[in-house]
Amino acid sequence: MKVSFPYMGPVTAYRKLFEQLGYEVIVPPRPTQRTVELGAKNSPEFACFPFKVLMGSYIEACELGAELIFSSGGHGPCRAGFYGEIHARNLKNLGYQAEVVIFDEPLYNWKGFYNNVKRLKGDNSFFRLLRATFLTYRVMSELDKCERLLHRISPYQRKAGSAEKAWLLIQKEYANVFNGKGLALARSKTEEIIKEIELSKVEERDRIKIGIIGEIYVVLEPSINMGIENILNDLGCETERSQYLSEWVDYMLIPGKGKKEKGIMAKAEKYIDIVIGGHAKQNIGHIIDFKERGFDGIVHLKPFACLPELVTESIIPEMSRVYDIPILTLSLDEQSGLTNNLTRIEAFVDLIRKKDRARHIS
Amino acid sequence: MLSEVYVGIDVGSVSTNIAAIGSDQKIVFTYYTRTNGQPLVAIKKGLYRLKDELGDDTTIAGVGTTGSGRQLAGVMVGADIVKNEITAHAVATTNIKPDVRTIFEIGGQDSKLILVKDGMVVDFAMNTVCAAGTGSFLDHQAERLGLPIDRFGEMALKSKTNVQIAGRCTVFAESDMIAKQQYGFSKADIIMGLCRALVRNFINNLGRGKMLQPPFVFQGGVAANTGIKAAFEEELKQTVTVPDYFDVMGAIGAAILAWEEVEQKGCSSFRGLDSLKTDFTPSSFICEGCANMCEVIKVEANEVTIAVWGDRCGKWKENIKQVKLKEII
Repeated sequence: MKVSFPYMGPVTAYRKLFEQLGYEVIVPPRPTQRTVELGAKNSPEFACFPFKVLMGSYIEACELGAELIFSSGGHGPCRAGFYGEIHARNLKNLGYQAEVVIFDEPLYNWKGFYNNVKRLKGDNSFFRLLRATFLTYRVMSELDKCERLLHRISPYQRKAGSAEKAWLLIQKEYANVFNGKGLALARSKTEEIIKEIELSKVEERDRIKIGIIGEIYVVLEPSINMGIENILNDLGCETERSQYLSEWVDYMLIPGKGKKEKGIMAKAEKYIDIVIGGHAKQNIGHIIDFKERGFDGIVHLKPFACLPELVTESIIPEMSRVYDIPILTLSLDEQSGLTNNLTRIEAFVDLIRKKDRARHIS
Repeated sequence: MLSEVYVGIDVGSVSTNIAAIGSDQKIVFTYYTRTNGQPLVAIKKGLYRLKDELGDDTTIAGVGTTGSGRQLAGVMVGADIVKNEITAHAVATTNIKPDVRTIFEIGGQDSKLILVKDGMVVDFAMNTVCAAGTGSFLDHQAERLGLPIDRFGEMALKSKTNVQIAGRCTVFAESDMIAKQQYGFSKADIIMGLCRALVRNFINNLGRGKMLQPPFVFQGGVAANTGIKAAFEEELKQTVTVPDYFDVMGAIGAAILAWEEVEQKGCSSFRGLDSLKTDFTPSSFICEGCANMCEVIKVEANEVTIAVWGDRCGKWKENIKQVKLKEII
């Protein structure tokens, strides 16, 4: 059975899961302009940007022969809850036979979740499934850790591109992990790769830290967010995201491990007291969290026509004032020209630098 | 008399502007021309004009570029600094009017609102997805009404009645204008109505949730339009200043930034006016080295690649340094 999945963040990790379960894995191509165009052409016009990219990704996976697509769903007021169904229907209309299996939050629909797990498990034993899931989870967490570290040090790299090169190498190392032993080996190799990156010394007071918040797909996937972290790194800023896939898994699937996210949600209570879909509430919490942790600015990524993030955007001017932290909202859509957003990002970094300098002088 | 000037080049969507300041930061030269889709030609023309006007005794001691075409322009002339237009505009305005708090900048393809406090940018906004309220739209409407764009403002001020026009979207604005025209309203009234609509749109869209405080400065190509200025003053109930060099403020900002940069580094990387004779050919390709599939843009001069951008891992940028070394050897 040829299986595929959405291209979102650490695909090396998802690949691991399906490989371990004996599936033939089709990794969808990294989203390109073609993916976006295919998606936009075959999606409802009013659907949000992530929907369109996913649509394009699924079509490309089907072109490569995918027969089964595993994805995650959502519930609550955000339209993303319908998306899996519409994706499946659109694929059928286009004449592709692929079946789409959507994992919802387990507590929301136990039975459906269990059936999906059985579907995923196939002929494997539950023990094997558990082992594969656990290995995937560990690969995912370690990759997330590396990515987080790289975006913290890459503004200070001596040679342009060395952090990006390291990241490509690290992903290759983890692609060859099949058991605990391999994991330990990949870990030590990764340490070496990271040590190789030459860094210049920068005083703590000259460092600029920018937090990235927004809708989960555009936050996680650099190919559709203009590579925002790399852009900011190249402008000399450290970055950290509000979302890392392993943290999301912690929150959704592992009982007792989602404490961090709950703390973030609690911080947002003052501004949004109910969950309005997507990650709007978390994002508000993350603004406060980033400020408390001494970040200098925040970039907010909003897919065009994303309702939850539109709500976040409207609260932002007020929060920016109250917490005295510059926040830049960027709207992402099919448009591929970067110039316009680059102007905003550069001006934003200039603003933060000047603000920082003024603070140190006074 | 031998003198040094610092040059700023602002390559925008519609116009290309050049300004030169002396070492005393006085403006000695300004140039405004339509880009007409050929920024490189426009820059060349402007720089030759500068040479003609200032004479051979003047040397260019530093160059800065800004505007949406800043990167290519920067490579072409060997700029000391390449800066985004928001920072450049703010630098120029705070230099001319140090107590400014709010800057409205309306150009060909975009409009910006910049909030300043103590000479520092504290917040800004740029129009997002719509051309309503920018120079291009006004151009288009002037053409439709058979009116030269430079008489647009003058005409608007003759308006006597208030005509409501939707400013949210150019499509609505245009159909509203046509409807009002068929009802028999005068051209002047319709144009003033459009000016008011654009200002309303600007303030609603860019100023949303922001405190706009005086003094206000209005600049960019559209500031030539006295109708828009009047509409701003009407809406804000405050005086709005249009600086003398409103149409080249970005270039002035770039010149000031170049001056600061050269002061710091001690020398300029300007290639010299002779280098303008070289043909610069930009091209792009998709690098298939890894899954990133970067769109790499390269600029060649005399078939030698002199600049590359877009490659995340630095694979193509590395090659350039080697070429440069060989050239020197």
